[in-house]
Amino acid sequence: MKDTIVLGLGNVLMGDEGIGVRIVQELQSTCGERFPQVDFVDAGVGGMRLLHRIAGRRRAIFIDCARMDAEPGTIRRFTPDQVRTRKGLVHRSLHEADLLNILDLSRQLGECPREVVLFGIEPERIAEGIGLSPRLESRLAAYVQAVAGGLA
Amino acid sequence: MSKNIRINVHHLTRVEGHGNIVVNVANGTVEKCQWQVPEAPRFFEAMVRGRRWDDIQTIVSRICGICSITHSLASTKAVEDALGLEVSEQTDLLRILMHYSEQLQSHVLHVGYLVAPDLFRAPSVVPLVPKAPDAVKTIIRVHRVANTWSDLLAGRTTHPTTLKPGGLTKIPTEKELRDLQETLKATVSDLVTICEVVLSVADKMPAFERDTEYVSLRQNDPPTYTFYHGGITSTDCNGDGPVPIQQWESVANEYVHPQSTAKWTRWHRDSYAVGALARFNNNADLLSPLGKKVAAMFGLKKGCCNPFMNNVAQLVEAAHVVETSIGMIDELLTRGLKSEKVQVTPKAGRGSGCVEAPRGILFHSYEFDKDGLCTGGNICIPTNQNHANIQKDFETFVPAFMDRGQDELRLGLEMLVRSYDPCISCSTHMLDIEFVK
Repeated sequence: MKDTIVLGLGNVLMGDEGIGVRIVQELQSTCGERFPQVDFVDAGVGGMRLLHRIAGRRRAIFIDCARMDAEPGTIRRFTPDQVRTRKGLVHRSLHEADLLNILDLSRQLGECPREVVLFGIEPERIAEGIGLSPRLESRLAAYVQAVAGGLA
Repeated sequence: MSKNIRINVHHLTRVEGHGNIVVNVANGTVEKCQWQVPEAPRFFEAMVRGRRWDDIQTIVSRICGICSITHSLASTKAVEDALGLEVSEQTDLLRILMHYSEQLQSHVLHVGYLVAPDLFRAPSVVPLVPKAPDAVKTIIRVHRVANTWSDLLAGRTTHPTTLKPGGLTKIPTEKELRDLQETLKATVSDLVTICEVVLSVADKMPAFERDTEYVSLRQNDPPTYTFYHGGITSTDCNGDGPVPIQQWESVANEYVHPQSTAKWTRWHRDSYAVGALARFNNNADLLSPLGKKVAAMFGLKKGCCNPFMNNVAQLVEAAHVVETSIGMIDELLTRGLKSEKVQVTPKAGRGSGCVEAPRGILFHSYEFDKDGLCTGGNICIPTNQNHANIQKDFETFVPAFMDRGQDELRLGLEMLVRSYDPCISCSTHMLDIEFVK
């Protein structure tokens, strides 16, 4: 098992919602060989399966579209203890998995990576359709660099 | 008895699957009782237009993060039906094995992570860990097995990469299958443990029954507890032969209802139910011995009309797919695995594909022009087929349980919706956060 896992989250059919997947695909194709100890994973909309993906790793890095009340296109790096979820989920559906809850569960089970980092990208357009908004598309290289910069 | 009740379980944002529960009781009279679905439509049928025949699976697998294998299989079968492609018996067996992995994954996830907290009176699985640590760890262990199983057959856990109309792009080695078989054999005892844990708290499931039509696949040749082949049947068909899946639109009879952005469906009655309990009610006689044993543990019998028992039917099916897969791997290994090349020539046509998603029967249809470009699609997911039935259940449940008070009634209604294992939407899962540091 590789030491580090980088997970791109999102739905590529919902505009900027797919930014995490796009970044991880770019990372895989441009930096895959530079970082042999890193697994780059298109994790789709993730859900509870993320629990298994990260179990036993030293480091997990998540890249996801995030509503952070920032300017669209902004990327922010943070750790789970710096944020609080605003989702009011009532767990009626399996589709309501919340990443921060999954990390909490992973910690309780004693299998959470020592280092967990999240990159959030504020969306401009979340709507049906394939492809990012021009603003996010134009910044793709910068996002890739922001994540890759911390991988060494 | 509570004379006045107001329940309004409402989602404020549009970023997750949405379903609202609205109940008003005034002076002991039910004035309003609704299951509302205000979720934004998804327009997948429009998204596939103009796409090539071999792109469809990749796109529609993103409909759902939980049952992406199922959507991929239904769409692949539909494309094969449209292009007149036959697949080999080996491909068929490997696809069914792939599909079973998702049934286990989804059922264990649902019963373990969503239903168990209700039964143990915990708000979610996270606070359940200190209450029942061994049970949670067992559930996670089985879920992990199911994920690894999907990885092997589908190429990755979510959004398969090995499926292609006409065949598979990658097949496992005999050693990998043998290892999987050993893992599945070792999982049986964990599954039995999960069943025992759920049985110990099964009395928390309300004793509620409503005569219901149950719709699922039925395969008579050879007789099989099917998730993949066969035709459409229902408990109202009285033994008439299954309806060919190409005629699914005349079964679902989709219509628009003002309290829902998702279409509703009806066949012989005002509503019908799909899912594990529907499959059980139509096919219980064809379960594997372990599946039958689990059903007997809970006293689940054909003809059950308690929607909460869908959770138990999911456990029955989890046992069934594991036991059946152990046998299927023997069959595959006896035949020996062969690599196969697939040649496809696109042509104009229309086709349908139908499989059982973990949460019920799923239909896909597509039309292609002579170059294999998609000119139209139609998809009908299981949860849409359950919405009208959930509403009908509400109308019976509320008067029957309203004397227990507002809080218990609300919990009962939430558990009722949850028992259908709804897939209201999984289009977006973005983080919605505020910084605290």
